[in-house]
Amino acid sequence: MTSLLRVIKFGFLNFFRNPWLSLATTLIFSLTLFIISSFFFLNLVADRSVKVIEDKMDISVTFKDEASLEDIYNLKDQLGQLSAVKSVKYISKEEASEIWQDLPFSQRVKELVTPEKNPLPRGLQIKAEDPDSLDEIGEFVLMKKWQPIIRENGVSYQKNKTILQKLNNITKFVRKIGFLLAGIFLGISILVIFNTLRLNIISRKDEIEIQRLVGATNSFISGPFLVEGILYGFLATIISTLLIYFLIRFTTPMIAQYLGDVSLNLHQYFIYHLDLIFILQFAIGIFIGSICSLISVKKYLKV
Amino acid sequence: MIDVQKVSKTYGKIKALSRVSFKIKDGEFVCLVGPSGAGKTTLIRLLIAEEKPTFGRIVVSDRDIHLLPRREIPYYRRKIGIVFQDYKLLLKKNIYENTAYALEVSGARSDLIKKRVPKILEMVGLSKRAQNYPDELSGGEKQRAALARALVHSPKILIADEPTGNLDPKTSWGIIDLLLRINDHGTTVILATHNKDIVNMLRKRVLGIKNGELVIDRLRGEYTI
Repeated sequence: MTSLLRVIKFGFLNFFRNPWLSLATTLIFSLTLFIISSFFFLNLVADRSVKVIEDKMDISVTFKDEASLEDIYNLKDQLGQLSAVKSVKYISKEEASEIWQDLPFSQRVKELVTPEKNPLPRGLQIKAEDPDSLDEIGEFVLMKKWQPIIRENGVSYQKNKTILQKLNNITKFVRKIGFLLAGIFLGISILVIFNTLRLNIISRKDEIEIQRLVGATNSFISGPFLVEGILYGFLATIISTLLIYFLIRFTTPMIAQYLGDVSLNLHQYFIYHLDLIFILQFAIGIFIGSICSLISVKKYLKV
Repeated sequence: MIDVQKVSKTYGKIKALSRVSFKIKDGEFVCLVGPSGAGKTTLIRLLIAEEKPTFGRIVVSDRDIHLLPRREIPYYRRKIGIVFQDYKLLLKKNIYENTAYALEVSGARSDLIKKRVPKILEMVGLSKRAQNYPDELSGGEKQRAALARALVHSPKILIADEPTGNLDPKTSWGIIDLLLRINDHGTTVILATHNKDIVNMLRKRVLGIKNGELVIDRLRGEYTI
């Protein structure tokens, strides 16, 4: 117990007696954690973007009032057999009216549709597997044989198609490159931290030799380095969390603009998951710090 | 008791020690002499289990120290005190902390450390320098601080490797005086030196090493190599 307290004490002393080295190490540590966390959030945004796009990847078809339910169901069944189609849903007049009532219209507009007077057409809501399938589905519903039952301009997909495809490509690209970059940066950061701690320990080579000569056990020598590593991890977590907070605060409005009204509120997400974000970073920080310290110090511990 | 039996040490093709044998009784004061590069430092590194002999055995207190498991070596080192020519003080710790460190390492209780360290610093005459860092001390003071650290845990054996090598004669004798007083209290002292004057005036047992071989072993010896 006395030894443990001493090891902790020496760890703190090491930290504060080399203030510049400690500051540099802490900053490098902070950057690493910041990079890791940033990619996590970037991935979250990309992920959410995909969801938004996927939700927008539907084609709606509306029918003339005189079209028979049989013809509509015939089209629905045939669509259901296409591999490009994820799902098809029939919207009756009543359902269309319900959806209408839920839309953010003023009461005056909402009252234009009532059960007695419902001008809304029946329709099919088709969800595509991916944006590339939109064309196939589009061509299918635009075939001549369906035209008698479909309203004029009753196929809605043309307007969004190009935008969606572009957006989806960008998102895919961001995710792929994001993972790659995150991996590379993580590798580089770990090497930099490892090197910093190693230099730190090399600069205390003589100290370690003396400790050994007065009979310090290996754990008594490496313990303070471990404590120091944990201290770096802790301070870096605080710094990195603050950096992320400000980054998110400034980018949330931009992301909201980009993703539209279905966006995720990163700021809220951050506040809500603050404890988790902190603990995860701290765990990564401690893990990297202690592993790198131990590997570096081990070289000088041979008896 | 220290029993060195036919110890040889080679580094590649270089023979640092060749079949060296001697015994040192408890409480003895021994001068280990010889020119630079004769093998004194190699012998000391073997005695403190920093290195293993190529051949032969070194038995200290009935145990072959080179058969000790690695994790027991720190505990062996706590039984000996070591002083070097270049002091080997921890530069980031003040004199009090340097001295206390040898006790802290062994898990000694804090109240014992608080009692023992001021006493030993008083003995070596450094009470007023306790809060200073090694860089603020003169050579003689640094060596006395190193002695304080080597002695604070009351070792059975004190090994001093050229402790006066960097000091002027007057300061050197101050250190020798301390070594003699420590020896009076029953600690075995091994003093490695190539200072003729000191060896000749001490008239203690002399072990002389030359080219890695033990060439002199006299009870009241002089430096004659």
